[in-house]
Amino acid sequence: MLRLRRGSSRDPRRGLDMSEGTRSGATHLTPVSTDELSGILREASEKSLNVNVVGGGTRQGYGTPVEPDLVVDMGRFADIETWDPDDLTVTLGAGTLVAELESMLSSRSQSAVLSEIPGDSTVGGSIAAGISSLRRARLLGTRERMLEVTLVTGDGRVVRAGGRVVKNVSGFDIPRLVVGSFGSLGVITSVCLKLWSAPRASATVTIDDLETASQVKRPLAVLEENQRRRVFLWGTPEEVEASSTRLGGDYVDGLDWPTDPAGPHRWSLRVPPAQTSEALSRLPGDWRFLAIHGAGEIRASSASAKGAADLREWAEGTGGSLVVVDAPDGSQFDPWGKPPPALELQKKLIAEFDPARVINAGRLPGGL
Amino acid sequence: MSLIDDLRAVLDHDRVLEEPLELHLFSRDSSLMTGEATCVVFPETTEEVAEVVKVAEAAGVPIVARGAGTGLAAGASPTEGGIVLVTTLLNNIEIDAENRTAWVGAGVINLDLTKEAEPYGLHFAPDPSSQSACTIGGNVANNSGGAHCLAEGATTSHVLALEVVLAGGETLVLGSQAPDQPGLDLKGVIVGSEGTLGVVTRAVVRLLPIETDVRTLLIDFDTLDATTKTVSEVIAAGLVPAAMEIMDQRMMTAVENWLHAGFPTHSAAVLLAEVVGEKEAVEAEAALIERIAIANGAGEVRLAVDEAHRAQLWKGRKSAFGAIAQVSPDYYLHDTVVPRSNLVAAMAEVQAIADSYDLPVYNVLHAGDGNLHPLIAFDASEPGLLDKVHKAGEEMVAACLRYGGALSGEHGIGLEKRDMMRIGFSELDLDAQARLKMVFDPSGIFNPAKVLPEGSRCFDFGGVRREIPDGAWI
Repeated sequence: MLRLRRGSSRDPRRGLDMSEGTRSGATHLTPVSTDELSGILREASEKSLNVNVVGGGTRQGYGTPVEPDLVVDMGRFADIETWDPDDLTVTLGAGTLVAELESMLSSRSQSAVLSEIPGDSTVGGSIAAGISSLRRARLLGTRERMLEVTLVTGDGRVVRAGGRVVKNVSGFDIPRLVVGSFGSLGVITSVCLKLWSAPRASATVTIDDLETASQVKRPLAVLEENQRRRVFLWGTPEEVEASSTRLGGDYVDGLDWPTDPAGPHRWSLRVPPAQTSEALSRLPGDWRFLAIHGAGEIRASSASAKGAADLREWAEGTGGSLVVVDAPDGSQFDPWGKPPPALELQKKLIAEFDPARVINAGRLPGGL
Repeated sequence: MSLIDDLRAVLDHDRVLEEPLELHLFSRDSSLMTGEATCVVFPETTEEVAEVVKVAEAAGVPIVARGAGTGLAAGASPTEGGIVLVTTLLNNIEIDAENRTAWVGAGVINLDLTKEAEPYGLHFAPDPSSQSACTIGGNVANNSGGAHCLAEGATTSHVLALEVVLAGGETLVLGSQAPDQPGLDLKGVIVGSEGTLGVVTRAVVRLLPIETDVRTLLIDFDTLDATTKTVSEVIAAGLVPAAMEIMDQRMMTAVENWLHAGFPTHSAAVLLAEVVGEKEAVEAEAALIERIAIANGAGEVRLAVDEAHRAQLWKGRKSAFGAIAQVSPDYYLHDTVVPRSNLVAAMAEVQAIADSYDLPVYNVLHAGDGNLHPLIAFDASEPGLLDKVHKAGEEMVAACLRYGGALSGEHGIGLEKRDMMRIGFSELDLDAQARLKMVFDPSGIFNPAKVLPEGSRCFDFGGVRREIPDGAWI
């Protein structure tokens, strides 16, 4: 029989407020095994209970708000199953903190290239919410880390797809499909990720104008904030030194990553990469921003949603989007904007993985 | 009206082929598995593709989309009959240099895209060895890799959006030049789906700057072991070069006899490694590879002296399979992947299996990715030999799976490895895949009987279904 635990049994070291973003009265469960999780989801499907899945609880404001009957805490799925540094792959439980993973990997100068400043984010949460690294213009987004996934579907099936090798075409690419899926295809329990070696040298160089960045062929990142523009470099010591000299400007050793802009309203603006500068010129003047040049992603924050509707309309016209990453309770601003193409197909696909539609139902755009 | 009449109502008369010789030409891809096309069509526009899909659905006949037919897993062989839809007339290219992207028709040849992008200082990174023939649509279908996907990723890493004709003839653009389109990334699941979910008509792909500082090293070794060990150690040292390819002596000799590219045929194996980037980086990285190679007993380390020399070396590498023609009339090529740290052991076992069947195996590897391509050369007219070749091949694939590998790195499952999917995946895993297929293709017309073994969608998961509320889509 399944042991249903009332209340949070999460490791108190993390100090997570489990009630954040959830209706009071929801039951909190902390499954310790795939079997237990499967049982919980089967039961939820039978009883049509709405399930919210929590990793580090850092993205609870992202997506259409849902009121769960059950909150499933993935904190116990935190084992590193295998890490073979020579293969540049790691297989681990989805509840592992990104910070803990990166700390382990850095002992061999490796990185999974997820969030640079992850806070309490878990690996599974970052994947489900589709959060990518600031290094994405060079090393691509989180989907490119995905080699294998194991998930428990809404009706409790344990499904594995992909493989633990860096190159693989065997069946449909479900590992990449779960990135940004908000659990709609199932709760991610374990993943195998492709790793990168961190080169020996790195530097952060402040530049005056963006044109200067083109002096470096393929920088690790070119980031623009309200008050500064910086180029991030890594490579051999000779290369980093030569690139820094080419760029001129102030130079510090190491990668001095910025935090995401904070504020009551937090946004993610996505446009074709060449339109990043134009997008910045269209942001309301009091918005704070962090733009990833070359990737077309702009993270922003603001005191209110004023001006957001116009910005969204423009962004959607470019083929992009403006989505709400967090907003104060009661915010009336539509979190997603224009529904994605193939909504009906997405609905049918989700129904195959979560027939009773119990995991984060309605959280994705278009009421999915 | 007949199927042909229906198709000729939507396509010009001469773009619907039905003569036996024409059908025979399109009855298989580059695998050894032959099907039988009912007819062959050459649509020129996405709208025409949609019309063909509607005709096929109404008639209940399969559609097998095909580009150049360079596939090696029978993914484009019409083994269930039906319409072979050839994409080669969907061949428009629009470069967007500012965004470093291009809209590309499915029938555009891979190398033609790179040539078209060259004046902008850009290129398309995936470079399968067949790149002078294979099409972008085929690359998307198989998530093709190539020598240079070691650092840059396979096709899926370079596809930003797809125009695709789905069941019912519905045409959608999935994905965008902008990142992270909200909702499920359906574009991503169509890449690598081998034409089983719909027909891709156009793609938006990323283009990368042409590298100007390049070092290409050709290093020879006394043993294949030492060569693979060098590759493993380079990766373990934290270096991901642009490419790391191995050819063994047999393969090198076949290539050299044909192309005279300057391969050291006296050596047991050769490593072709390439590093790109900032000038200062490539020098340091080339030196590191050389050090590791020498520590593993490498013989001579040659550096490509100029672009022409480099092009010649790559031509040699990419012509490997073609070179087999002067050795024997037929070959059977497998495509498996193992974790890179198991490459040495897996290669040794592949060789032992070939020896036990007394078959000559030629090796050419995308070694940096752990991607093996053992090739068995033989004469299919020799009685019983094909059977032996099949058995040996299956043992090789099974061995790679035992080493933690995957069935296919870049050639796809197609029909060839379809039934081996059961080795790597559980019934529930395959059932999930089959459900996905059914959502996209409820009438089962898109490249049927490929990728998923028969009966994949048979698992009845007891208990829950009947509890599902009315109106839920099952």
